Amino acid sequence: MIKYIIKRVLLMIPMLFTLLILTWIFSRLMAIDPAANMFDPLTTDQATVDAMRRKLGLDQPWFIQLGIYIRNFFLGDLGQSYLGRSQGYQVTEYLGLIIPRTIELMIVPTILAPIIAIKLGVISAAKKDKTTDTLIRGIAVAGSALPSFLIAMLLMYFGSVILPSFTAGVIFIPTIGNKDPTFDDPIPVTNFRIIDCILSNRPDLLLDTMIHLILPWLTLTIVSLAGTTRVTRSSMLDVLQQDYIRTARAKGCLESTVFNKHALRNAMIPTSTVVVAGFRNALIGSVIVERIFNYIGLGFTTWESILYSDYWMILGIILYFGIIVLASNLISDVLYTIIDPRIMYK
Amino acid sequence: MEKSQTKIITDKEYNIPKGGFKRLIKFYLFPFWRDEKFSVQEYELGKIKSKRKLFNRLYTPLTIFGALLLIFIAICAVYASWLTPYSIYDLNARPGTDPFAPPSAEHPLGTTILGWDIYGRLIYGCRTAFTAGLQAITISVIGGIIIGVISAYFGGKVDSIIMRIFDILIAFPTLVLVLIFVKIYGSELSNILAVYGVLGIPNYARLVRSSVLQAKENLYVNAAKTSGADNFRIMFSHILPNAISPLIASVFSAIGFTILGISALAFLGFSDKTIIDWGTDINVGRTRLYTKPWISLWPGLFVAITVLGFMLVGDGIRDALDPKSKK
Repeated sequence: MIKYIIKRVLLMIPMLFTLLILTWIFSRLMAIDPAANMFDPLTTDQATVDAMRRKLGLDQPWFIQLGIYIRNFFLGDLGQSYLGRSQGYQVTEYLGLIIPRTIELMIVPTILAPIIAIKLGVISAAKKDKTTDTLIRGIAVAGSALPSFLIAMLLMYFGSVILPSFTAGVIFIPTIGNKDPTFDDPIPVTNFRIIDCILSNRPDLLLDTMIHLILPWLTLTIVSLAGTTRVTRSSMLDVLQQDYIRTARAKGCLESTVFNKHALRNAMIPTSTVVVAGFRNALIGSVIVERIFNYIGLGFTTWESILYSDYWMILGIILYFGIIVLASNLISDVLYTIIDPRIMYK
Repeated sequence: MEKSQTKIITDKEYNIPKGGFKRLIKFYLFPFWRDEKFSVQEYELGKIKSKRKLFNRLYTPLTIFGALLLIFIAICAVYASWLTPYSIYDLNARPGTDPFAPPSAEHPLGTTILGWDIYGRLIYGCRTAFTAGLQAITISVIGGIIIGVISAYFGGKVDSIIMRIFDILIAFPTLVLVLIFVKIYGSELSNILAVYGVLGIPNYARLVRSSVLQAKENLYVNAAKTSGADNFRIMFSHILPNAISPLIASVFSAIGFTILGISALAFLGFSDKTIIDWGTDINVGRTRLYTKPWISLWPGLFVAITVLGFMLVGDGIRDALDPKSKK
């Protein structure tokens, strides 16, 4: 087991280099000139641009550029953002500000959705081909067929038009942004806004932040509910046909014990893949949901930097995604050996 | 002769329930109609037989519902010019008069920001959705088959290099990569479709690879090798037909996800403005969400219907092809 983990960690090193080369090829394909993009073309002369290009090493042959890129990566220098909201920040610094907000957004759906989904999947499998099953399957398929932005828009309409009009404007869920514009920020300690509010003893700010998070949380929960439900249902159905389930029933186990102990634990293996992938997505964020709720997180920054062709920011974000993916692959492979001892990697 | 005339033959005796007369007429008039009461044994036999056929196993309520949704969208796409009085020029290029008009007799579902009829754009959008989804998936399926078969057949270093690269590629959020490439190479529909198609290749390559690895072990592959068939022939005419069924099962839901992805792209503002697309309408309607929600609701509904249809049909095909569910 330990040998396997060590082997996997060592295997990460060539994977990391593959990732670096791949992202570098991406950056070539992007065909953005970061030196020219940094300056206003109307007010800057060619000499300044050329000087910047020389400073960034863009006039060198490609293998030296690749070398510079890899060296800069290990020095922790991903360049400086030059456009948009993140203008003037170092990319690593800005990502450090933004990622905690995305984690705050994603962590609740990531935990909540599998709990509901597994329950629904088990019910659906237990009542196979009955009305309940068809209903749950229908909801699950519809949940993955509806575009996430449509779900978000329906919730926004519900929160800001239907709810106030039925409660005479007493209950109102704000739909845009991550805080009320009249409120100030708490003292940034951890960059997690909720934790910062608690640390700086500001219950009003905490309440405001939570209210702004309700609708994004709901949207993401509904979106990620569907897939997990379907996977749980199909793997439960597979497991329920096994011999040991018949044995368990024959020896007189309660039906609830058969489902919750004998079947569910074995059916959880494919589901755990989806759940682990959900935790990975929690670190990656959701472009669409953050965009529609104007929630300034990683997804919003991704969209914004692509819109402005902010070269270093795009590259930094892609690199970050790649590293998250590599790490999560490692962690999930190790987790599977713990969840299912039958799996042994050679 | 006399006796048989006096005996009254009841319905019960022949096991004919009420409404037997109607059934009789049906039995004589409809060529292939079979009544279970008239030939119970034959019916039972037919039921067992029909379970084995793929088409009969597809005959589930959810699949039929999905197919009906798809047929509805297909009818809208084919007969678009009959279903709406407006031409494509009216809906996409001609400057309209009243932006964001409420529903009226002239515009049954209102108008968009440039005064274009929403109902007409919905109907013509079916064409875009169908063609877009199919084209993108064709690129990824063909690319995936070629790379997957080669990778699995030759194995060794080729296989491990291709799969390591795909492992990384597959895990990036597709939407972000598509956004980057579409931003750079322009947001014409052909570009969007090409990018979606190319980024879909790793999924299919992996799928094909895993089933080819199983099919490769069969004896007929050895037989083909012994009889002197070259690699190309073995790969594409002996192995591939036996390894393609999981691919067919996943193609339909993948078309649905592509349509969803294209509308998401349009929603983020990276769409082709020269074509009629539901995502663009949703994005336009977003600015009037609180006062005129129907502007974005209708296109969203159509996206949902199309994707739902493809997913239900895909699920049905997957279940029908799955050997485990054979009973």
